[in-house]
Amino acid sequence: MVNLPTTPADIIPFIIAVVTSHTFITLVIFPGLIHLTVVVMFLTWYERKLLARIQLRIGPLYAGGPGGILQPIADGVKLIFKEVMIPYKADKPLFLGIPLSLVFLGALPFAVIPFGQHWVIANLDVGLVFIFAVTSLFPSMILIFAWASNSKYPFLGGLRSLFQQVAYEIPMWISALSVVMLAGSLNLVQIVNAQQKIWFIVPAFISFVVFFIASMAELERLPFDLPEAEPELVAGWFTESSGAIFMVIFLALYMKLYLMSSLITVLFLGGWWGPAFLPQPIWFILKALVVATFIIIPRGVYARLRVDLLIKIGWTRLLILALANVFITVVLLSTGILSAWGL
Amino acid sequence: MPTLVSYIIVSAALLGIGIYGLSVKRNAIRILFAVELIVNAANLNFIAFARFMNPPRVSGQVIVFYSIAAAAMEAAVGLALILVAFRLNSSIDVRKLNKLKG
Amino acid sequence: MDLSVPPDITFVVLTTITLLAAIMALQAKELIYGAISLAISFIGIAGFFVSLDAPYLGMLQIAVYVGAVVVLILFTIMLVRREEPDKDESPETGEGAAGLWLAGLLAVSIAGIAALAGPNLPATPPEANLPISQLGPVLAGTYPVPLIIMALLLSGALLGALVLAKVDK
Repeated sequence: MVNLPTTPADIIPFIIAVVTSHTFITLVIFPGLIHLTVVVMFLTWYERKLLARIQLRIGPLYAGGPGGILQPIADGVKLIFKEVMIPYKADKPLFLGIPLSLVFLGALPFAVIPFGQHWVIANLDVGLVFIFAVTSLFPSMILIFAWASNSKYPFLGGLRSLFQQVAYEIPMWISALSVVMLAGSLNLVQIVNAQQKIWFIVPAFISFVVFFIASMAELERLPFDLPEAEPELVAGWFTESSGAIFMVIFLALYMKLYLMSSLITVLFLGGWWGPAFLPQPIWFILKALVVATFIIIPRGVYARLRVDLLIKIGWTRLLILALANVFITVVLLSTGILSAWGL
Repeated sequence: MPTLVSYIIVSAALLGIGIYGLSVKRNAIRILFAVELIVNAANLNFIAFARFMNPPRVSGQVIVFYSIAAAAMEAAVGLALILVAFRLNSSIDVRKLNKLKG
Repeated sequence: MDLSVPPDITFVVLTTITLLAAIMALQAKELIYGAISLAISFIGIAGFFVSLDAPYLGMLQIAVYVGAVVVLILFTIMLVRREEPDKDESPETGEGAAGLWLAGLLAVSIAGIAALAGPNLPATPPEANLPISQLGPVLAGTYPVPLIIMALLLSGALLGALVLAKVDK
């Protein structure tokens, strides 16, 4: 650690030492706060443009720059200036505090996701279980927020969202179990390093499919959209949020999208490994954006699933597929077929 | 790192809070809170002892692994019982739930 | 306790959070605030686990307790809501004081025994040697029977809760 400044002449070297330290750069610049904010804002614009092209429209065009790239900033400014309406007899501290903690929980797992061999904020030995623990906090916060809104639409939407997210967490983590068995560690850096010769999507293809579908359901994207189905529940659990609160929740949802895309990249698509003509973090971000594209596209293509079918698929079909893949992984590992790729 | 005695004192304090809740509160759900606090106090004790033994043993963590699972099960069944009791008696006040009939 | 060494800041913060949240869980007027305080207390205990070289168990505690048990409790609170605020201990029978005496006696006696036995207990912890890779072989190799029994118990508890909470038409 650097020495604390004792005399006024020591302050500038201290500031320079802090700003150029590895912790500060990873925490604030990349993959920390600035990179996260920029990518999340880019993702909101990207989704609208992509859906527009699928639906034969153009999308945001006028907000400045080429193709409306400053649209997220325009959205943010508009939402900040709107009035924050708190429903009658709603629980004020919870109503105002939970969206902020949703953003906090959406950004927290990024502390363990490695964007490059050394571009990780905290290389925990139990990184994957940390992400599991943090993402399991989302359903309870959504339930509390839905209850605190003191109104029927959010409450029903919150209950449906709770059922859906709890149902799809389990196939997600059982398919991550196959990856952990292949890599032999819960440490995310080691999981990516074990994919140097072959990406885990090849031996664990079924669990890639299960994880992908389950993460689409966790993010409440079409076709798993019922908690925010517009003709039915107005907007689901965030019906009563307006203005700055909606902006904060919107940011939290897109942070979760980027988190799931990065997690799929780390677990199945080989993280940052790629041909050497691009630096490692660029490969990671490119792969994460490709995964995010494939998560966004079904929104413009598919119809919505009914809520009881939705929950049934989560508890029965996906769970069986995930367990089948665990069995296949055990067979593959014990017969040593994968030893050619160092697994 | 604080000494083992500090961890035992924290665990005993949590136990005391749990026993106060268990014996004084009337709402069945608050009694469930108190039971969960007592179980957590015991878990903390196990982990502290597992760490401070020489050499540190992993069996304390194994016990806590099972204890977390068992406490989750007990909370689920207990809450289902509270739901049934509420449906039959329209009250979750444990002083009113003193008849076995119904 | 040795008072010449400054107390560890992590330990002090975690203790304060955990104990205050536990007291708030029992004393809060609304049950939902009590459930949220209970969740904060569980996170404090998970912090203790992590600082005692049991990171896997800390994350498991958050995932199971805060992610599942607290959700169940919130759900039940929302289903058994009644409009009048619930009054807890009735002040005229003096149960609050009796409960405090009972709990205080128990806690103080345990803490007293621990403090008296303090010089015989290890003061500095031995060096950490609990990698997470040791947990798996012990679970599956040394204690396979509790693992299977726990699996059966979990299925039984799940079925039991479902059957109990079913609404008979």
